[in-house]
Amino acid sequence: MTFTAMVLKMSEGLGRTCAIFFLTLLFSLPLGMVIALLRMSKNRVIAGITRFIISVLRGTPLMLQLLAVTYGPYYLFGFNVPRNKLIPVVIAFAINYAAYFAEIYRGGIESISKGQYEAAEVLGYTKLQTFMRIILPQVMKRIMPSVTNEVVTLVKDTSMAFTVSYQEMFTIGKQIANSQTSFLPFVVAGIFYFVFNALVDYVMGLIEKRLDYYD
Amino acid sequence: MKKLLSLCLVFALALSLSACGGSSSGSSSAPAEKETAEAAETADTEETMTFIMGIDPEYPPFSYMDDDGNYTGFDVEVCQAVCDRLGWEMKIFTVNWDQKLVQLDAGECDCVWSGMTILKSMKESGYVLSKPYFYNTQVLLVKEDSDITSSYDLEGKSVAVQLGTSGEKLLQEDLKDLADTFGELVTCDSFLKCFTELDGNAVDAVLVDLPVATAYIADHEGFRIVNEELGAEEYGIAFRSVDQVLCDAVEGALADLVADGTYAQIAAKYPDIVDNLLFLNE
Repeated sequence: MTFTAMVLKMSEGLGRTCAIFFLTLLFSLPLGMVIALLRMSKNRVIAGITRFIISVLRGTPLMLQLLAVTYGPYYLFGFNVPRNKLIPVVIAFAINYAAYFAEIYRGGIESISKGQYEAAEVLGYTKLQTFMRIILPQVMKRIMPSVTNEVVTLVKDTSMAFTVSYQEMFTIGKQIANSQTSFLPFVVAGIFYFVFNALVDYVMGLIEKRLDYYD
Repeated sequence: MKKLLSLCLVFALALSLSACGGSSSGSSSAPAEKETAEAAETADTEETMTFIMGIDPEYPPFSYMDDDGNYTGFDVEVCQAVCDRLGWEMKIFTVNWDQKLVQLDAGECDCVWSGMTILKSMKESGYVLSKPYFYNTQVLLVKEDSDITSSYDLEGKSVAVQLGTSGEKLLQEDLKDLADTFGELVTCDSFLKCFTELDGNAVDAVLVDLPVATAYIADHEGFRIVNEELGAEEYGIAFRSVDQVLCDAVEGALADLVADGTYAQIAAKYPDIVDNLLFLNE
């Protein structure tokens, strides 16, 4: 197999890698906000349960969560194993990443001083208005570097979808490496991930710049 | 403060030095040292040699984890007998099957001995390979109520195969035309996952080595093997290209075990594979 053929074959899987990446972000970014708000709920029971769920999601390997989502329903209830592996993969990734995003959001929200809430109240803002117009824009600015961190990790974590036989780029790389007894596919995979992340870095940098008003 | 720092440094240095000393005096797994250890072994047997066997821990009945959590299987037991005979200490290293040869080259193990199919590509890459000891074929495992009766029925179906196995290789090369008729080819990283996919109706058939399929249906109901042999192959043991001496020693001990009946005794514990063992059916 020539080098070009190898790269072509692996880029076939790149589409699937991107599918995991974008779908995970699409679902986990908003889900994270929901979890963060539940976590900060004044109701102790809700806050406690959410806290426990977050600690399970962050305290167990993503690989196990992938296996649990894919094969769990089959082993527990005898459901069919899903044929299209993208569904369980995205569910597992979205839930896992939402837990991390939730904690980032919480950190951001709690970093805003109480005085701002009081000032907003004096000015006659409702609670929702205060959150949407005053708190959230500042939170967005503060958490961008941490979010970028997670997004970069997500790019690399997509390779874990291999555990449930989802044929993404790294899986194909492994297959080629194995059939050609060559290490080259791993080098190619490394370059792919690096370029992907360079793009992510660039885009996140642009977003950060746009949010960089006032300063 | 400076004094404390330098003291720490000296301590760290001493530690690292003693660590180096430890590993080079003990029997190490680095390829170059293995050769000298091997030479020493044949010259005088003062120092016990450690022989690291590379296995796939999910490959019953050749190598697997038993109910007590120990690694066992036909290959493991035979290897233990070989080591006992040669006075070697046996260690087990579980390889990542699709990286087994890289791990062998890296010295993480001294051989790959785990129901491993001898491939032409291994010979071409210069690995030292033992005489084949097992004759094997690839078969299709399907659900009992499946309508698949031969490989012709696989058109448009999805088929699972384990990454790094000869079945996967077969579908890429000799059986490429067959593989092209599949609806989907699912590559799993262990046989358990292949079988789970089959049981959970995510795939319609699993291409797998005959002994693995036989062992699986013995323990699990609701499956059957399609009566068609899809690729004949032989199992052997792989050593690094520099380890011809090691291979000869193992082969010699194996011949002794066959001669004194120990080999047949071990084989009797594994009725699923006994008919295909080449040394016993010569």
